[in-house]
Amino acid sequence: MARRLRLLCQTTSFVVFALLFAGLTEPDLAGELASLLMALDPLTALGTALADWTMPRWTWLGLVVATATALLGRFFCGWLCPLGSLQHLVSWLSGPERRARADRNRYRRWFATKYLVLAVLLTWAAMGGEHIGWLDPLPLLQRACATGLRPLWHKGQIPSGWLSVLLLLVILLLSAWMPRLFCRAVCPLGALLGLLARLAPLRIRRSTETCCDCHHCLIACQGADEPLGRHRVSECHVCLNCTAVCTEHGIGYGLPHSQPLAAPALDVGRRRLLLTVVSTAAVAPVLRLTGGGFAARAHDTVRPPGALDEPAFLARCITCGACIAACPPGALVPDLGRSGIEGLLTPVLVARRGWCEPSCTRCGEVCPTAAIRELNPEDKQAIGGPAAVRIGTAFLDHGRCLPWAMQRPCIVCEEMCPTSPKAIQLELVKLPGPDGRPVTLQQPHLDPELCTGCGLCENRCPVGARAAIRVSSVGESRDPANTMLYRAPVGR
Amino acid sequence: MGLVGYAGGMADREREEQDQYGRVSRRRLLRLWGPAALTGAALAGAGLLLHDRPGRHRASEQRAIRLPDWRINTAGSGKIAIASGRGPARNLGRALAAFGGISSFIRPGERVLLKPNCAWDRRPEQAANTDPLLIGELVRLCFAEAGAAAVVVADNSCHDPERVLKRSGIGAAAAAAGARVVHQGSTGTVTADLGGSLLGCWQVLQPFAEVDRVINLPVVKHHSLALATLGMKNWIGALVGQRRTLHQHLELVVAELAAAFRPTLTVVDATRVLTGGGPTGGALDLVKPVDQIAVTTDPVAAEAWGASLLGLGPSELPHLDLAASHGLGSCTWQTMAVVA
Repeated sequence: MARRLRLLCQTTSFVVFALLFAGLTEPDLAGELASLLMALDPLTALGTALADWTMPRWTWLGLVVATATALLGRFFCGWLCPLGSLQHLVSWLSGPERRARADRNRYRRWFATKYLVLAVLLTWAAMGGEHIGWLDPLPLLQRACATGLRPLWHKGQIPSGWLSVLLLLVILLLSAWMPRLFCRAVCPLGALLGLLARLAPLRIRRSTETCCDCHHCLIACQGADEPLGRHRVSECHVCLNCTAVCTEHGIGYGLPHSQPLAAPALDVGRRRLLLTVVSTAAVAPVLRLTGGGFAARAHDTVRPPGALDEPAFLARCITCGACIAACPPGALVPDLGRSGIEGLLTPVLVARRGWCEPSCTRCGEVCPTAAIRELNPEDKQAIGGPAAVRIGTAFLDHGRCLPWAMQRPCIVCEEMCPTSPKAIQLELVKLPGPDGRPVTLQQPHLDPELCTGCGLCENRCPVGARAAIRVSSVGESRDPANTMLYRAPVGR
Repeated sequence: MGLVGYAGGMADREREEQDQYGRVSRRRLLRLWGPAALTGAALAGAGLLLHDRPGRHRASEQRAIRLPDWRINTAGSGKIAIASGRGPARNLGRALAAFGGISSFIRPGERVLLKPNCAWDRRPEQAANTDPLLIGELVRLCFAEAGAAAVVVADNSCHDPERVLKRSGIGAAAAAAGARVVHQGSTGTVTADLGGSLLGCWQVLQPFAEVDRVINLPVVKHHSLALATLGMKNWIGALVGQRRTLHQHLELVVAELAAAFRPTLTVVDATRVLTGGGPTGGALDLVKPVDQIAVTTDPVAAEAWGASLLGLGPSELPHLDLAASHGLGSCTWQTMAVVA
């Protein structure tokens, strides 16, 4: 009965995830609601707390889940986690026959690897690099959906989406071989919840008198937590399979009245843990000094409007893909290398794919950690003067532009430019045309003071391959040092 | 079976914590619920503390200082002393003598900063930097005649600072006379509110906030954008940051710099004048040996005199007009000139 409840809860939670993911693309759905699941994730709160000393927006909800875990055990893994539910489904569909299942669900010492993964990610977060999202199941799944699924019905493929989708597919394939292998051996959230579960008063308890050693519980166990022996509370997903299959009613879930409280020690040696932490703490600065870290950002990477300056942005972005899914023109893609290793999978704007809609502030609304601030649309619109928030500047390529290089009329960039007065002005010139006869052409000139870097010009430029007008991040308002214009201080 | 027995053994010990009615002892209750409760409380505390904080990567708001006015009201205003023909050291001595010596400007125990033009990887004969002999002599006079407690020679160079100090000879000359030589790599900065309408808060080399007297030591040079680079433009060397965008408003910036930096004294080095290809220079045929030094408390007069050596009048330098119109000094150096 409890097991059926758990199954229902898993299904419901997965449906909720799917609905909320679909809701990301719905501009009227409140941003906080759309990114609710990311906020519920305790690792989001812990990661941002370590990396940027803050718990922004609704990430404190993750602390509620953490506290509940300290009371109830890893119920999140068994009842709520959508990636866990997916793996569970895959393993159920493709599971081996009953006899082999006992071996598949046996505890293995290398399941403790996830604690080392957690240690690496938390150490790196403490040094300002929030990469928990690479392996945290909620951002991982949402990112794979945002970069793999959404393009199926909107805006075509995302060139850098393959990595996130591949990661998801590998995880699901592994689960076909050994049920929920990712959850058991790799998942950092599972590791964190496992540590909290060791404190839980409510847990699986086995009555030693009625147990007949039939091993049914072991065969059905999802977490591979040795329900027959000394129960490993930190591995148990509270799936309650064991309570359902036990023919003697010897296993139950509740307060352990007459059982030992101490669970077996984790299979992580103190020395190995220390070595992991120290080597991560040593590698991170070396990475940054040798071009892998956040100082390596190529100045062609354009960030979403409202993004914090780069060190703060990388300390908060959990690569959940919410902004990528929510961007109506589909302008954002996960970065693969142009912002260094620490910028892997963070959102960058590719104007050829989509532009930054002037009155849209959706990315900031859905970002769970406020790595992208919520803006007023007026701040980014450059109506009546320069905009307070800019993401870059467009640069004309006089060698490719039709009126500049090919003696042919165009003016698409000026027509599309959404600022008022327009950042692209046209100059009337009379030149010999392609056939020698004089033609009157309108040649575009860009005013960098007014340009917001929205990319609509680059998006619509008829010159393929490399557009004749291209946006780069120079002039972005979030980084005063990344400017070519002298900008007088505000308020004078 | 062994496992069951093991579990059974543990259970026997735990049963001590129950009384004969099976009620759980207080100690066990605490061990059951304590860790979870404590963790919950700790998490709640952390959440309350950290909720929506701006984050540690928020740029720290450093308080901006205003630069002190290093001028002396009493000594020798309204005069520009020009010495010629005896080499930089002796020219300096004679020009200062017209004011009663360096001790008219520097009192014993004061800390002095010399701001030369020391920005370019050039040798002294290429006239891109202030003459090292002039700097060495001035440092010596500050210690020997004025009794200064400390002398700092500072600049934010355009080329590599160590190379500049070595090839210009300024590093050796200043150090030999006992000065501390600093550049943008060897000293910190302070945030200074420069007060202009274009210039706001800028990072300034730290020694500027730590001295009592400042002496401006420009060299007379042609400049491709400004036409001439003299004393007022020399203050750009005090700034640290995105200086390369200042060229977009250069005249106004230079005039506002002259208003923000008020030196005790301006010593204009016209030992050699770079007549073209400035501010970097290079070719020796662009260098004209003039062998003159001018000393004055009026920065506008110093500017106008240096410009005259390049064949430029005040009306040809917009920043000079601006500075004069803001009451920073007088363009008519001819009426103030004293031949030393």
